[in-house]
Amino acid sequence: MIIDRNNLPEDIRNLPESSFEIVGTEDIRDEAFRTEPVGFFKDAVSRLTKNKLSVISFWIIMLIIASSIIVPNCTGYTYSEQNVAFKNLPPKVPGLEKLGILDGTRVMTNRRKDSLNDPTQFPPGSVIEIVKEYSHSGVEMVDVKVDFYRMVGVPEGRYHWMGTDYLGRDLCTRLFLGARISLIIAFFSVVTNICIGIIYGACSGYYGGRVDMMLTHFAEILDGLPYIVVTILFMLLLGSGMVSIVLALTVTGWIGTSRLVRAQFYRFKGREYVLAARTLGVKDRALIFRHILPNAIGPIITRAMISIPGAIFSESFLAYIGLGIKPPNPSIGILLSDGQKVLLQYPYQTVFPAVLISLLMVSFNLFANGLRDALDPTQRGEV
Amino acid sequence: MLRYSLARFGAMLLTMFIIMSLSFWIIRLMPQSIFENPEVAPEVQKLLEAEMHLDKPMVVQYYYFIRDIITKRDFGRSVKLRPGMEVFKVIASRIKPSVVLNFFSLLMAIPAGIILGTIAALQRNKLADNIISFLVVIFISVPSFVFGSVLQYTFTFKIPIFPTLYDASATSFRAMFHSLTLPIIALALGPCATIARYLRGELIETLSSEFLLLARTKGLTRAQAVVRHAFRNSMVPIANTVIPMITGIMGGSLVIERIFAVPGMGGQLVQSITVGDHFLTVALLMFYSAISLVTIFIVDISYGLIDPRIRVGGGK
Repeated sequence: MIIDRNNLPEDIRNLPESSFEIVGTEDIRDEAFRTEPVGFFKDAVSRLTKNKLSVISFWIIMLIIASSIIVPNCTGYTYSEQNVAFKNLPPKVPGLEKLGILDGTRVMTNRRKDSLNDPTQFPPGSVIEIVKEYSHSGVEMVDVKVDFYRMVGVPEGRYHWMGTDYLGRDLCTRLFLGARISLIIAFFSVVTNICIGIIYGACSGYYGGRVDMMLTHFAEILDGLPYIVVTILFMLLLGSGMVSIVLALTVTGWIGTSRLVRAQFYRFKGREYVLAARTLGVKDRALIFRHILPNAIGPIITRAMISIPGAIFSESFLAYIGLGIKPPNPSIGILLSDGQKVLLQYPYQTVFPAVLISLLMVSFNLFANGLRDALDPTQRGEV
Repeated sequence: MLRYSLARFGAMLLTMFIIMSLSFWIIRLMPQSIFENPEVAPEVQKLLEAEMHLDKPMVVQYYYFIRDIITKRDFGRSVKLRPGMEVFKVIASRIKPSVVLNFFSLLMAIPAGIILGTIAALQRNKLADNIISFLVVIFISVPSFVFGSVLQYTFTFKIPIFPTLYDASATSFRAMFHSLTLPIIALALGPCATIARYLRGELIETLSSEFLLLARTKGLTRAQAVVRHAFRNSMVPIANTVIPMITGIMGGSLVIERIFAVPGMGGQLVQSITVGDHFLTVALLMFYSAISLVTIFIVDISYGLIDPRIRVGGGK
């Protein structure tokens, strides 16, 4: 509003200049942020930690990784140390043995009763109790619970927490070393797959046109090859071993990632900020890796997490069909398939690897689900 | 549509050819002689090798291999596992238990998955849903061979109601099925959980849609609305998840057949690889490839047939 000086009352109009005073001397400022800025990852982590299942599964994974590093070094046995005299020992854990579980005992069925007094078969102190007595065609027979460690003459104080296998190797050492090997295979195959997928998908999505068409067609042909057949073929070609497994899992494993990255590039490469960067003279490589790729980081991380249990599964699958890693090296799959052969006689040889692989797979899947919800809240709700 | 189908079919044949060549070269170039039988006299071996063209260079062998398959449907003869028998016949003799196993586990997984998924969706965030979701995570994560071992131990040893191994001498279909029950269950759990999870997601989305509200407003009961309107719409994507499962089940059955000693294709493949019966391995790998390629082909074509809203192939 413009104030006309002549309209003002007489006394105000004649006020001397000196009686005026400037009021607004201070700058007007926004209020300072009182909170920390929340970035993408901080946001995701805060969402992730609210999901109890994910946190629990994260700690289970960490526990398994830690024990796979530590346990094989402190059991006092090596993975290949054989002792045929002490083969198929049942599990025996110090402390727990006093409670009557995992105490190294075993029920032996269909023994002649008079053989119990034969010290060559049952050394003194090895028979704990007779479970059942019966007679078969006139011969007195018993089912008897024995301290198996004492029976085969294992020195006092020697414990096998998960028992021993058919060659007398300590299963605890082998299981956690096997877990280590399986995890290493899974980790490397997933990392390779993700790297190849990122580069392939980025080229295909960024350059578009004919390059995209050729790359996509190639990937499609490769993707048409059945997974099992290709993996088996490459294992046959490369021979058994850790590196071959990683390579065999990479042959078609990267295609999913490359598709995902390609889709993200198509979404973002036309955005104004990319155009602005290009106008400023940013090179292709910087555009791809610094400006567009970070948009895809969430789905890529989720995908990596989801592929890990898949790789662990493939490794055990290969071990089952006899194309796994070279013996005597253990892996979860090898232990499972060895244990399977004596499942009905010595179930503990299957139980421990089965529990470990199940825990590992369930935890990785739950953690990956939580991670997906945290990184991409729009997809929340799907199991 | 026709043009698209033809193009897909052509791509399928091309892929099959690539697999054929890959398996031939990879397996035949392995440093293992095809005949290693010390009981066979060297002269006889020479004759046999000549009959199978093994005395010629690899490229020529490759030519014969392709030619015999295309013109005579002849994949060669088994050398070690069933000496002298035509590979085609070996496969034919092994196919029945495998097909029963794979077919019935899929047949069991689909209704079970649909029922579980529907219950979970209708009882969303209630106890039933939580239990089902928990089971779904377990069934999807834990490999089928672990289930195989668990089932075998529980139901043949602790509670002996099923035979431990496949009963190869079973004459009636019923007896055969009885001994295949456990492997079928072990194989079905994973796909069943996948279907349940997928259907739950789809149904929840459909249940909150506006056309379902309309159906309820015009007087349909909840059950009617769910069965007639929600269910049908959710079935479309399910159909497309079920068909690719065939490949997954086949892979699983490779191991399950081994655990339960089922004399099927999977066991034969594993054996032929271990023994080095190359012709058999190549043929079996191609058989597996053919099945999975055909399923991919069916999925591609069926997109348009199941849901006409999806136009396949068309340009813009």
